[in-house]
Amino acid sequence: MGENRVSILGGAALPVGKLQGLSDAGTQHLEHEVLAKLVVEALEDAGLEKEDVGSMIFTLPRPYTQQKYFATFMANYMRLPCDGLVMEVMGNGMTPALTFQVAVDQVRLGRTKVALALGINFETGTPSHEHMMSSMRATGDVDFHVPFGYTPISWYAMDAVRYIHEHNSSREDLAMVAVKNRRHAMFNPIAQYRKPMTLEDVLSQRPIVEPLGLFEVPGRGDGAVCLVVAEEDIAKSTGRPYVNIRGEGFFHEGAHQISEIPNDMISFQAAQRAGKKAFTDAGISASDLDLAEVYAPCTIVEVLVAEALGLCPRGQGAQQAASGETALGGRIPICTSGGLLSRGHPAYVTALYSYFELLEQLRGRGGKRQVDQAELALACTELGNYNAAMVHILEAVA
Amino acid sequence: MSLPIIQTEGLRAYPPRMSDFTKSFWDGLTSGYFRTTCCDDCNRPSFPPKPFCPHCWSNKVSWIELTGRGMLYSVTTVHAGPAVFSGDLPYKVGIVDLEEGIRIATKVLDDTALDKPVELVVLSYEDGPLFAARSHLS
Repeated sequence: MGENRVSILGGAALPVGKLQGLSDAGTQHLEHEVLAKLVVEALEDAGLEKEDVGSMIFTLPRPYTQQKYFATFMANYMRLPCDGLVMEVMGNGMTPALTFQVAVDQVRLGRTKVALALGINFETGTPSHEHMMSSMRATGDVDFHVPFGYTPISWYAMDAVRYIHEHNSSREDLAMVAVKNRRHAMFNPIAQYRKPMTLEDVLSQRPIVEPLGLFEVPGRGDGAVCLVVAEEDIAKSTGRPYVNIRGEGFFHEGAHQISEIPNDMISFQAAQRAGKKAFTDAGISASDLDLAEVYAPCTIVEVLVAEALGLCPRGQGAQQAASGETALGGRIPICTSGGLLSRGHPAYVTALYSYFELLEQLRGRGGKRQVDQAELALACTELGNYNAAMVHILEAVA
Repeated sequence: MSLPIIQTEGLRAYPPRMSDFTKSFWDGLTSGYFRTTCCDDCNRPSFPPKPFCPHCWSNKVSWIELTGRGMLYSVTTVHAGPAVFSGDLPYKVGIVDLEEGIRIATKVLDDTALDKPVELVVLSYEDGPLFAARSHLS
């Protein structure tokens, strides 16, 4: 990393849940009201004032959000003139990670000293089978894949089938990831699913994309997050604990869902390459990490990305979830927030929740799910079937 | 070598679009031929067919015919699908590695095990063709 360090100073996140739609009184939650409240909270958390902010990078809202051109609407709603960019970012599941990156880059480029990375994802007013009419066109070739009926998570299901075949694993082994992450979510007040859950509970659900059942795939949720990023000098001047971005890595494998040249689909090459770059950039190795938040919509995905990043040996990711190595208190806790399966997956803001979890952990604010002496953490996000990955390594500064 | 053609009732749930270029593929499929493009410069095939070579970016490509034989790389059964596919639930989709060294995604018709041989067939719907894979005893 260059000399201009960028820090995360503060944040605020809405508890993930189902908020969209009309109440009995005929009222509803409006996106701009919900998000503006979080902006104010996040700035208070950062110890900064409105006048400090010079850029706002938003995640693109879902098409179900009535207010279009949301970023510029919000600039007006909050009456915030900006020298740095005010814009919306889209990149499918990677949307919030790219949003965060653009905000970081605005600070690094000197366009502003303080930028907000923020967004709201409201979608639960639209039923899944209608929602999938859109999402199926984002996770496949419209003319050569979509006509067969692939759904976004059907690709992950095929990863699971391949993994079970190659590593003599089982649905039960993979399902332990869901059980582990539910235990984490029980201690996360903003998690969508917090009731205790056993392996039997997971395995007894109806199938969605075989071998995965209802609790092995993400539920749908609404959510919103605002993060405050700034030059490290600003962070230091607040006198509060903050987090530095110590390393970054991105890689796109030049394929969409599948590679037309047969490859090892479940090696998650993009995560391997992005991870290596981020570790090199940060000057650390995987074994130096205290925790990780990975974008894993299904049980199998956490296993594969953990292996690709070198957090678990190849073929052992599922067993290490079951044995507690990747659980709170274990060797390398993964998804202390509860992950996408239990914390929730409001997709266009999901990665912002990941950075928020690491911000809380690295400032020692994880409550009952706090990782002891957490100093170095990794966030990994993706799009497609991990065809691209973006990795950030974050460091606590007391 | 032509593929088996299976007459299939009804319309395709989500019909593919055709360009002047990809029309050759879909017309060929209607007649039982599974064709794609291969680069005249680097000799590597590509799928879906493209009017250029994605490997070396040459504009010189020719149509070649594929055998439609390969191995099943992975498969899943979809139980919750997009609205237009709700009448087909549950259905199988998979990934097939063709013997010419091309990986494709397609509908799967039976319970073939992974790494076992499959053949492509033409599903001839009332409004046009799709392709699918089924087990092949060689």
